[in-house]
Amino acid sequence: MAASPVVSISQDEDDTELARAARQGSRAAFGRLYDRYVGMVHGILLARVPRSEVDDLVQEVFLAALGRLSGLRDDGAFGGWLVTIARNRAHDYHRRAREWTELPEDVPSRERYSPEALAALEAIRRLPEAYREPLLMRLVEGMSGDEIAARTGLTPASVRVNLHRGMKQLRQKLDLRDAHEK
Amino acid sequence: MKNDYLWDGGDATGAPDPEIQRLERLLGEFRANRTAPELPAGYRSASSRRWGAIAASIAVAAAGVWLVASGSAPEGWQVDRSGSRTSRLAVGETLETGADGHATVNVGEIGVIEVEPNSRLRLIRARKNEHRMALDHGLIHATIWAPPRSFVVDMPSAAAVDLGCSYTLEVSDDGAGLISVISGWVGFERNGRESFIPAGALCRTRPDAGPGTPYREDASPSFRQALADFDFAHGGDAALAILLTEAKRDDAFTLWHLLTRCEQGQEPRVYDALAALAPPPPGVSREGILRADPQMLDRWWDELGLGDTSWWRLFEGKWPASSR
Repeated sequence: MAASPVVSISQDEDDTELARAARQGSRAAFGRLYDRYVGMVHGILLARVPRSEVDDLVQEVFLAALGRLSGLRDDGAFGGWLVTIARNRAHDYHRRAREWTELPEDVPSRERYSPEALAALEAIRRLPEAYREPLLMRLVEGMSGDEIAARTGLTPASVRVNLHRGMKQLRQKLDLRDAHEK
Repeated sequence: MKNDYLWDGGDATGAPDPEIQRLERLLGEFRANRTAPELPAGYRSASSRRWGAIAASIAVAAAGVWLVASGSAPEGWQVDRSGSRTSRLAVGETLETGADGHATVNVGEIGVIEVEPNSRLRLIRARKNEHRMALDHGLIHATIWAPPRSFVVDMPSAAAVDLGCSYTLEVSDDGAGLISVISGWVGFERNGRESFIPAGALCRTRPDAGPGTPYREDASPSFRQALADFDFAHGGDAALAILLTEAKRDDAFTLWHLLTRCEQGQEPRVYDALAALAPPPPGVSREGILRADPQMLDRWWDELGLGDTSWWRLFEGKWPASSR
């Protein structure tokens, strides 16, 4: 599989317009917001819940967001608002799982991932929270640093620091070397 | 800048990093399915068990939620209840939820609170960027996206100061509180005693003792018990010994709090245990920490990577105490 290209940011429509249109019932606008934010939401959930649950929870997050759009007062804050919904949904998942029975991560499934990929993912998931999400957005979802900052509402400087610190720790965990040190 | 490939994927000046490219190829297997959900009519669907559960949660009856008028003011919060018209909670008013009650409260334009059954909250202040409420008892889920210290919850045993985060807060009938932080971090404070609670951590607070020491949510039962003994039952040396022995790297933030909470003479043991888990950064000395130098304590906290104390200090003192 070839390295996935980094997704570029479209500046054609801003979140404010899309969120407003979605609240007024525009499915097309909601679809645009989904396209724009699905990588971010997927990355947040992948950092926090078992792999097998992520896709369903992504759908839940967007449907929950749709149901609560009337409560979003600042349409320009859509990204940060969606971040909190995604994190809450992950938290709810674990709370429900404690009430029932949480399946171990390695339950056999039809999914087939390479052992190396699984090892890399698990190494990221063991990093501090501040590093997990941006690294997954960058390495899994193919988002650029600028895009991560724009979507999450974090400053580019903060994203850059977390990406580089996280990558440094990940290299140590995976016993990789920094290309610039070679 | 070095390693720009990590930032922009080589779009700009960064030379490709083969190891990062390899990770991208490996991890690309997990990339999101980019097919948007098919939106059910009326935003409800029975097409899957999960979506059905969502619909059920959206349709939770708001029976048992009521406002108790005890004053009026032009400022207030919007209260939404499924199956009922939107109402407004004015400053000075109380919101109570009964056994089956549930409410969603918009905290001005800075956040949302989900109020669970059997809860009672009072709105103390509602200004553009200053919101304060009291939770007398019950359970709330708060999601705040405003700058730090824009939102404060008074409890009988402490004040919970939001630092840009999402958390669950429970207050029992006897006034004891328990917070579980989901993202960001929260500060507990009472009479100058502060607890910083990062994401993934919990913290208890008691009316007779104020904020306890925060701990990670997956801490062992023995660690939790020792901390409860230390904070609220004069556990002294025995409890401290358990804490220092069992602490792991992820418990460094707990030990950091103990530096200024332990009894006189215990500080060197706490310092040594914390330094072994998370070495102090340059400029932070053993002598400085043992004399509780505030700047050094803050710098050591910042080194733990859980949030920057400057956020807390920047806004410290800008929020007047509750009249509670």
